Amino acid sequence: MRKNNILHTSFIGGLLTLINLSAFAVPIVEIEIRNHLFFPSELTIPVDTKVKLLVKNRDPSAEEFESYELNREKVIPGNSTGVIFIGPLKKGDYPFFGEFFPKTAQGIIHVD
Amino acid sequence: MLINAVVIILREVLEASLIMGVLLALSQLNLLSKNWCFKAIMLGVMVAIVYAVNLANISALYEGVGQEIANTVLYVCIFIFVLLIIYSLRDKQYSNVAIGAMFACVALAVVREGSEVIVYIHGFSTIPELYTPVLIGSLIGAGIGLSIGVFIYYLIVNLPYIYGVRFGFIVLVFIAGGMVSQATQMLLQADLISSELPIWDSSQIISEQSIVGQVLFAMMGYEATPTQLQVVLYVLSILLTTFLAVSSIRHTQRTKLS
Repeated sequence: MRKNNILHTSFIGGLLTLINLSAFAVPIVEIEIRNHLFFPSELTIPVDTKVKLLVKNRDPSAEEFESYELNREKVIPGNSTGVIFIGPLKKGDYPFFGEFFPKTAQGIIHVD
Repeated sequence: MLINAVVIILREVLEASLIMGVLLALSQLNLLSKNWCFKAIMLGVMVAIVYAVNLANISALYEGVGQEIANTVLYVCIFIFVLLIIYSLRDKQYSNVAIGAMFACVALAVVREGSEVIVYIHGFSTIPELYTPVLIGSLIGAGIGLSIGVFIYYLIVNLPYIYGVRFGFIVLVFIAGGMVSQATQMLLQADLISSELPIWDSSQIISEQSIVGQVLFAMMGYEATPTQLQVVLYVLSILLTTFLAVSSIRHTQRTKLS
């Protein structure tokens, strides 16, 4: 009986670890905004994979991360971090830009 | 910078302005008071300021997707109020419901678009050399956006009653579809619903960046690369709204005849 209980507990424990692992399995990619420029302005992410973008806006002014190709649009207030999930995506190039400073804030995501 | 400000503010103002123009025109055609609109704008602007000031905190909620959740709630509420407006305009006895729903709809639209306008313009207050061009550009953009709303208003009120109501309802049907489409988009971005590959890519025919694409986006939530779920929900919302609109118009015509 006790043995069964231990088995049971370890099974649930294992299941929880699995769920946790799958939640952490989403790769995180960081992009910084400084002086209305993206750093890095070019990055590569794997094909057919969901990725969590952390966009850290170091400028005091707000920026809007926008990409028609990725179908994403998010206002990131000054001195704050925005979370944007992208993908899974097909192989290709996906440009993005900062809508508030589009002349300088330009970047591209390569999916390979 | 000036042109960019014109485009950004125009896009934001256009959505709210279209909703306002159509709802004011429907009030006029149905001989309802139009006082609700001014109050809705005032309340909307006040809430938009509070929302904009707290945007960084709101964004950080729910593991960084608070902004998407707040936007989804706003879009879904506007959608529900549009349904309520269309339903309640069928009969004089629901006039108060119609006015209440119009008030809520415009207030929510102003919160949604107004907060982004405030965040955008406020960001430039730290950059003195750009502040003036951005303010001028924003004024021009807002002016064009509001003019389009005024144009829609006069277009509808100058039509004979039944055609005016029909035209107004058609615009509302597409606005409702657009709200559902944008709400779905927000849930995808927040990873609250699982993302899939788009089921088509019409960006070669109408790019979302083009003027036509932008206008279509504001009017009916045009998306060049939608996912299957987005298309299904969009079509369902359009069908539901159209069904309500047709039944409302039939009801009004019956009561007018008898």
